[in-house]
Amino acid sequence: MPTTVLIAEDEPLMRERLLGMLATCWPQAAIVAVTENGNDAWDSFLEHSPQVVFLDIRMPGLTGLEVAQRIGSQAHVVFVTAYDQYAVNAFEAGAVDYLLKPVEKERLELAVGRIRNKLSTPPLSLDAILKSLQTALPAPPREKLRWIKATVGKQIKLIDVNDILFFQSDTKYTRVVLADFDALIRTPIKDLLCGLDENQFWQIHRNAVVNVKAIAGAHRIDPERLQVTIKGSAESLVVSRAFTYLFRD
Amino acid sequence: MFQRIIQWQRDWENEFLAVLTEPALARAVRHGFRRRTAQRLAGMSLVERQQTQGFIAQYRGLRGYLALGKLLLVFGALGVMAHLLFPDRISLTSSVAICTTLGTITALSLLSIWFNYRRMPAPNLKSYLWVIALACIGAVAGASVMTWLGGQSFASLWERIGRVILLGGLGLGSGYALVYGLVAAWRRKEYEMLTAALQMQAEQDRLARKLSESRLRMLQAQIEPHFLFNTLGAVQQLAQTESPRAAELTANLITFLRASLGDMRTGQMSLQAEWTLVEAYLKVMKARLGSRLEFQMNLAPALTHFCLPGMLVLTLVENAIKHGIEPALRGGRIDVSASCEGNVVCITVADTGAGLAVPSTLGLGLSNLKERLQLAYGDAGHLDLMALEPSGMLATLTLPLQPSALMSTPVSTAL
Repeated sequence: MPTTVLIAEDEPLMRERLLGMLATCWPQAAIVAVTENGNDAWDSFLEHSPQVVFLDIRMPGLTGLEVAQRIGSQAHVVFVTAYDQYAVNAFEAGAVDYLLKPVEKERLELAVGRIRNKLSTPPLSLDAILKSLQTALPAPPREKLRWIKATVGKQIKLIDVNDILFFQSDTKYTRVVLADFDALIRTPIKDLLCGLDENQFWQIHRNAVVNVKAIAGAHRIDPERLQVTIKGSAESLVVSRAFTYLFRD
Repeated sequence: MFQRIIQWQRDWENEFLAVLTEPALARAVRHGFRRRTAQRLAGMSLVERQQTQGFIAQYRGLRGYLALGKLLLVFGALGVMAHLLFPDRISLTSSVAICTTLGTITALSLLSIWFNYRRMPAPNLKSYLWVIALACIGAVAGASVMTWLGGQSFASLWERIGRVILLGGLGLGSGYALVYGLVAAWRRKEYEMLTAALQMQAEQDRLARKLSESRLRMLQAQIEPHFLFNTLGAVQQLAQTESPRAAELTANLITFLRASLGDMRTGQMSLQAEWTLVEAYLKVMKARLGSRLEFQMNLAPALTHFCLPGMLVLTLVENAIKHGIEPALRGGRIDVSASCEGNVVCITVADTGAGLAVPSTLGLGLSNLKERLQLAYGDAGHLDLMALEPSGMLATLTLPLQPSALMSTPVSTAL
């Protein structure tokens, strides 16, 4: 079975270059997704659960570091960066691999060789190195969402995010569920994540984000998944494997 | 003994000069009399100290004694002349003695006024009357002593020369007061002019320093390595696939680098040249970002030769890329335009990018830009930032069409 690989890089020529080189250095790899920003990278990761992820550090939306933090130890991460002396220092000290842009073939071959050796063992935890990287390269300041504009019938409603019980993807739209009504918005969940307070809103599935205060309880439905019940709603939501760690003590 | 006196005097002179150059030294002086003098020197203003220092430097040591000797000779000669004019009324010895004494006193007091003019009250009636009164009292006292020595009665003296004494005192006092007042007033005026000149010099120094500091920062604000490596990576990729775009991208990068590394960063630049530079930069970014960046540039033909400090517009465009387009999920567009409204030039850079709310603190690039504006145009040039709906930012640079007086100071001479 080929190794599944995800690539996240915002500049088209750089993407092209990395893809072209991987094709020669590692023909056995299956590129499952190529994304051009952090939000898409995270969403594609949840969709495909690749074994290896190449992450550009500076990207629109979630930065490479933020995506890596969400991935945790669910995949082998290789960072790609053009020039960040602090980052390079941190990488030198840690076990995580990194590539400097523009990526050179010899260097990529070396990285691929290391990854292939590590594939049989579980990926390392990135916590320590991410912590030092995040102090050196803090995420850009983002405005937190306080209101969601949603169309309900012919009316545009301003919804206070604190009143929202959960968000759920619904093919083309995102459902915004409150105690007394539902609304639909066009912004996909992956793009809402940047604006929501991580401590107040937990993503529990690729297509669900829940207000922590609205969670009544969680119970196991099979070895890999949980289900949460929501206060003030008859619906229940599934917690996918990637997020069950949120409910461990 | 004589040697010790000379040594003491030399010491004092040196101490005097040292305190004049460095007033803080006054605290280290010990002796009572010398300490008081030193403290007074330290209390003087910079201009006074410089004047005093100049005088002492010229007349210290032997030269001072020579000057004093010459003065005494002149006064002595005057005394001889007075005796020759009125040989019956005054003897040679007393004539020489009186002239030398009077002359020396006058010279010394003039000298003291010369350097203490700021402690002299401004000319007014009260001080004038005081001087006259003192002169009269002096004259009366002198005459009384003479009378007493001569064994005559005071009343007979008063009868004989009372009027002469009073008139003489009055005249002499008026003359002294007038001369001293004039000298002091003149010196005060000179002092004010010197102080004003010094202040202007200091202000000019401060401006020049700020200018060179800001220029240094401009030079240090080198091209970001991130930009360079990413662009070179793009060139490499294009070259490897033998795309004709490789040559084009390289040409634009060269145009950009030439301007950024050269002295264009600090000097004046025509708007046309700035436009070429900004276009090269935007083309480089377009090659890298692909469909995520659209841009348009618009320069009013009348403004092609308008000169402004170099890289101002580029800084705004770099800012729009960095904070607007690059962080935006789906990119955006940048519009750069320059137009003339009345006698102001309006340069705008608008982006539809991520543009958070207008930042409360400016980044290094923008605060440096503001400082350069201030130095080049004073209050006549300014930068305004405005958030756009639904997203993005508008930066407006307003500059006077006519170069201001500040601008006419050649920028190249200050470094």
